[in-house]
Amino acid sequence: MIEIRNVSKRFGHLQVLRNVSLSVDHGEMVVIIGPSGSGKTTLLRSINFLEEYDEGEIEVDGEVIGYRLELGGRRVRRSERELASARSNIGMVFQSFNLFPHMTVLNNVMAAPVRVKRVARREAEARARDLLARFGLSEKVNEYPITLSGGQQQRVAIVRALAMQPKVMLFDEVTSALDPQLVEEVLAAMKQLAQEGMTMVVVTHEMQFARDVAHRVVFMDGGAVVEQGDPRRIFSCPTSERLRVFLKR
Amino acid sequence: MLSQLLDNFPYLLSGAGKTVEISAASIVLSSVIGLFVALLQVFGNVPVRTLILVYLYVNRGVPLLVLLFAMYYVLPFAGINVQPFLGGILVISIYFGAFMGEVFRAAINSLPKGQWDAARSLGMRRPLMLCLVIFPQALRLAAPPFFNTCMVLIKSTSLVSIIGVWELTMAGREVVERTTAAFQIFAGVGFIYFCICYSLSRCGRYLEERLRYGH
Repeated sequence: MIEIRNVSKRFGHLQVLRNVSLSVDHGEMVVIIGPSGSGKTTLLRSINFLEEYDEGEIEVDGEVIGYRLELGGRRVRRSERELASARSNIGMVFQSFNLFPHMTVLNNVMAAPVRVKRVARREAEARARDLLARFGLSEKVNEYPITLSGGQQQRVAIVRALAMQPKVMLFDEVTSALDPQLVEEVLAAMKQLAQEGMTMVVVTHEMQFARDVAHRVVFMDGGAVVEQGDPRRIFSCPTSERLRVFLKR
Repeated sequence: MLSQLLDNFPYLLSGAGKTVEISAASIVLSSVIGLFVALLQVFGNVPVRTLILVYLYVNRGVPLLVLLFAMYYVLPFAGINVQPFLGGILVISIYFGAFMGEVFRAAINSLPKGQWDAARSLGMRRPLMLCLVIFPQALRLAAPPFFNTCMVLIKSTSLVSIIGVWELTMAGREVVERTTAAFQIFAGVGFIYFCICYSLSRCGRYLEERLRYGH
């Protein structure tokens, strides 16, 4: 479903991604862990081209994201229309929720399906209400985000991304901004999605969540993939010294 | 003591009507100019942004009175004759377009980057992103300085009397010349300007309240 091949990225002189290669199968949940500054978020944001990668290739469901390869191997940046179309099939949930504060919960969820995918308003509303009910937010449909708790806002953000019926869901440290007592409700929502077979790439510091739910854990450090594998093996018998040091903290 | 003012109040109100006319036209036109200026600064390439910067520095660095004189006295030498009333509106609009542009640019740029990320991640292209996500939020942030700039604009319209445009200030001067009751008449003129600006500021407060999230 997702193929990342030899992707590199620089911010000025700082190399944040170094020749990263990773694949994610359909229905797989891959959790990326690593210290701050290891390139996890940059890699995640490169998948839907919110960050423009400099070298390599990223494919989602067979479509190269961000660039088009022309005859002679020349790389040409895709048009805004093509990028927007690709992004509409890749859901993303952010650490800071990023809900639209001037819209109600229902409108937050409905806006993109109606205006981007041209879904009929009635159909979009029905689907939005159904999704909100599945995630325990039925009573909040007419509320504004400012009146919701952090956990509720993050669940609305998940629903908003799901309303676009994406092929893949990306989660960027979605519990980092939440109080500990609110983290569980968001992780439960993510577990539910994983059980339903959604292809997910998750950047998180929640090691227990990664251990319990991930199909594969990827450890990044210094912009590169250092080690990856089954979560039980990764957490109990890490082979690389850097991962051992990271897990000891 | 107030008799001179009361006797001439209807005349002053006619002048106020012209002031409101000039102000309304200038506010609309300067807002349109300001919006273009803001968008070109945010999204334009380097040459475009440089041109906009020149426009901003000139209009914020030169007094409005000088620009009005330039329009009235200098343009005819270039073969461009503009009627003072229209010319006054154009000069005021171009002048205040610079200030409006900075108000709108600041409002757009102060939105969290996450709003842009969220809109892009949902597949929105720039026009939809601006209409659905950015402008509604920027409107709320821009409202206070926007109304503030409008009130300064309204008071600045008094300068067009220098180039012969009849409005409230000129009406007041005419009455003073006739009656020599300078204190009463200009107190009345000041009171009318205050009423116009106060009404606008109340509208601004109402709009701010309506735009409050969770209202």
